[in-house]
Amino acid sequence: MPQSESLRFLFFSDLLGKKVLRADGSLLGRVSDLVAVIGEPYPPVESVVVRLGRKRWQLAWAAVAEVNGAVRLGPEAEPRPAPEAPVADRVRLGEEILDRQIVDIEGAKLVRVNDLHFFESKPQESRSQLRVAHVDISFRGLVRRMGWQPVVDRVVSVVRPASRYLKDESMLPWKLVQPIESSPGRVRVEATKKALASLHPADLAEIMEELDRVHRQVLLERLDVGTAADALEEASPELAAELLEKVEPGKAADILEEMAPDESADVLSELPGERREELLGAMEAPEAREVKELLVYPGNSVGGLMTLDRIQVYPEQTAADAIAEVRRRAEEVPIVHEVFVVDNGGALKGYATLKDLVLSDPYTPVSQFAREPPVTVAVDDRIRDVALAAAKYSLVSVPVVDKLGLLRGIVTVDDILAEVVDAR
Amino acid sequence: MRVESSPAVPRRTLWGNLLVFLAVVGPGIITANVDNDAGGITTYSLAGAQYGNKLLWTLVPITVALVVVQEMSARMGVITGKGLADLIRENFGVKVTFWVMVALLVADVGNTVAEFSGAAASLSIFGVPAWVSVPLTALAVWLLVLKGTYRQVEKIFLVACLFYIAYPISTFLARPEWSTVTRATFTPSFEASSGYVAMLIGVVGTTIAPWMQFYLQSAVVEKGIKPEHYAHSRLDVVVGCIITDVVAFFIIVACAATIFKAGIAVETADQAALALGPLAGRYASWLFAFGLFNASFFAATILPLATAYYVCEAFGWESGINKRWGEAKQFYWLYTLIVVLGAAVVLAPHLPLLKIMLVSQIVNGILLPFILIFMLLLVNNEKLMGPHRNGPWFNGIAWLTTFIMIALTAYLVVAGVRDLVAS
Repeated sequence: MPQSESLRFLFFSDLLGKKVLRADGSLLGRVSDLVAVIGEPYPPVESVVVRLGRKRWQLAWAAVAEVNGAVRLGPEAEPRPAPEAPVADRVRLGEEILDRQIVDIEGAKLVRVNDLHFFESKPQESRSQLRVAHVDISFRGLVRRMGWQPVVDRVVSVVRPASRYLKDESMLPWKLVQPIESSPGRVRVEATKKALASLHPADLAEIMEELDRVHRQVLLERLDVGTAADALEEASPELAAELLEKVEPGKAADILEEMAPDESADVLSELPGERREELLGAMEAPEAREVKELLVYPGNSVGGLMTLDRIQVYPEQTAADAIAEVRRRAEEVPIVHEVFVVDNGGALKGYATLKDLVLSDPYTPVSQFAREPPVTVAVDDRIRDVALAAAKYSLVSVPVVDKLGLLRGIVTVDDILAEVVDAR
Repeated sequence: MRVESSPAVPRRTLWGNLLVFLAVVGPGIITANVDNDAGGITTYSLAGAQYGNKLLWTLVPITVALVVVQEMSARMGVITGKGLADLIRENFGVKVTFWVMVALLVADVGNTVAEFSGAAASLSIFGVPAWVSVPLTALAVWLLVLKGTYRQVEKIFLVACLFYIAYPISTFLARPEWSTVTRATFTPSFEASSGYVAMLIGVVGTTIAPWMQFYLQSAVVEKGIKPEHYAHSRLDVVVGCIITDVVAFFIIVACAATIFKAGIAVETADQAALALGPLAGRYASWLFAFGLFNASFFAATILPLATAYYVCEAFGWESGINKRWGEAKQFYWLYTLIVVLGAAVVLAPHLPLLKIMLVSQIVNGILLPFILIFMLLLVNNEKLMGPHRNGPWFNGIAWLTTFIMIALTAYLVVAGVRDLVAS
């Protein structure tokens, strides 16, 4: 009784180099690459690239009659010369994926592709369909590529049947990986954008640090402004500056606006003067002003680490007012622990923690329960001083005041921590 | 605006250039100093002690070849932003990469053996026996890298490399006949004896080794040098290559003016130290021991670390001393294995040390032509290098260098295998 459909898995290494025979049995060449259509979770293979000497032919996978010892073509197969340039929304698996580094979205890191895993379905009386199922990043994949899998598998299963090697099926589903290539195609760009946006910004930054110059630029170009800003905040200012230098000024300015002003000032201070002026000019006025204010301080001083974003209230405002203020500005101020109390002239009078605000009677003026700031720092103090102050008094944000006692900004503990860890 | 700022331009570019150069400088000069490792100092000393000034002329073509090869590595690093192992894997596939990495691993374990025996030889001058000095050196190397303090210590190594100044000073004090030295440097001569040819190949092989291309390219990539600053990076590489060979030059001349003149056959490190006699008198052996130990230790930290990096880069394993052991298992095991193996071979009582070093030299020799050919194919690949491919003239010189290196190493391999079989 014939089965209605046969299913099986194939490895790319099984197909590569296989003979391709015409319907009459004569040799056309050997399999050198497969081209898949991007967009579906398991992209279908559209065509096969066949090589004979220096000639490269491309033909539709639909023209393949049978894959066993060799790839046999149907009578209708029509080889055309393979295109040199990449085609929109198509991926050349051998050239762009195999042996390359791609992003493992789930593990949030770069991996190198040792092999590809295909799923072949062959409905009765019809041609085979091939879809990319997994990428193989296992050691066994390497062994398979060397052509030693049968031998190595047998040796290992005799010597150590429980070995992890034999169970090593480090296969990542295709939909959970992301190639980073500058090839054209709208579907492709959209797919990358979506996949990358799901990564944590800190992981994205690490991936960018690890990638080579060309590909990290491609990666950045594929991010939307918000994600790019989040990722660059996490990257080193040197790397962020290098990347932004090559981004078109309008977009670069948008990214800088989205970043926290202190981070954005750090990046701008790494850029050459002309480019810095250009980007500052392209930024919206309020953000640019804030960043310019921070740019005058050297990077290794408190001023260089300081951010202007903080929650401040006047002494006569109530606890409820202060909480409302926290809610109103939640978007721009990422870390809130202390709310600062200033007088009409802007002089620092005290601070209240969120706990103070929540536990106080909502209608009490903050001046009634505000605490005296245990310590303040000046813009030209060293980073070490602010780190010691934060540690000694258990502060999440340390207020920065000028000679007149006016509150200029705050230094938050996350920035201090990053500095201390880097200096180690 | 432009007109206003123009008077300040010359000063600013001079300063700007200097600042950029200082920021970019490093990989070339560090590679050069690692190149003058235990094997290098030994080979140059022997060349001067046994053949006087006769091998000096080879340093001129060696310098040209070294500059040509290293410049291509640095250029590929700057333009592609990828290491050489990475490029070989992506362009030539798994099989080629595998064999290249196996050969590199064997060659570098051999080189590490040479470094540890250098450390043992230098400390033996102070009366420390090898079974004490080698394990301690290996442990120190291993901890230095694992504790992540390596970067800070690297600067100390580089400062200690100022030791090489001792050779020029000693040379001048020994008053060699400068006219003879100059003539020997610029007029090629040849001697058909097998000893001479072996020494010639030894000098070439120790100066241009396969690990250097991998190391330099990775160092350039890690430093993040941008294409627009490439000119400075090239200067760094050229200066580095010249330093390597100037040091080699003075070691040879110093040994020629002292040991060769006195007709001593060098068999121990103590005797090689005689070259520093004119400068340091009876402290010569201490000075030599200090220099040899620094060179050995420096190279013994860099070589295993670098090798572990390339292998992991090629096979896509996580690597880097900022990762935890569990995250980068292969990397740390490889690193540990190379250090332990290198030290163990030196200590093993009946292992033929010289034969092992000979094998590693042969593997180095077999590997080099392949690496050079891969490099030439890669550097001329339009997709990778775009307008930064080799020009026709440069390509001519590069291929010529490659063919000469192939011929020399083919001879080395044949002679080496013959020696192995004969013994």
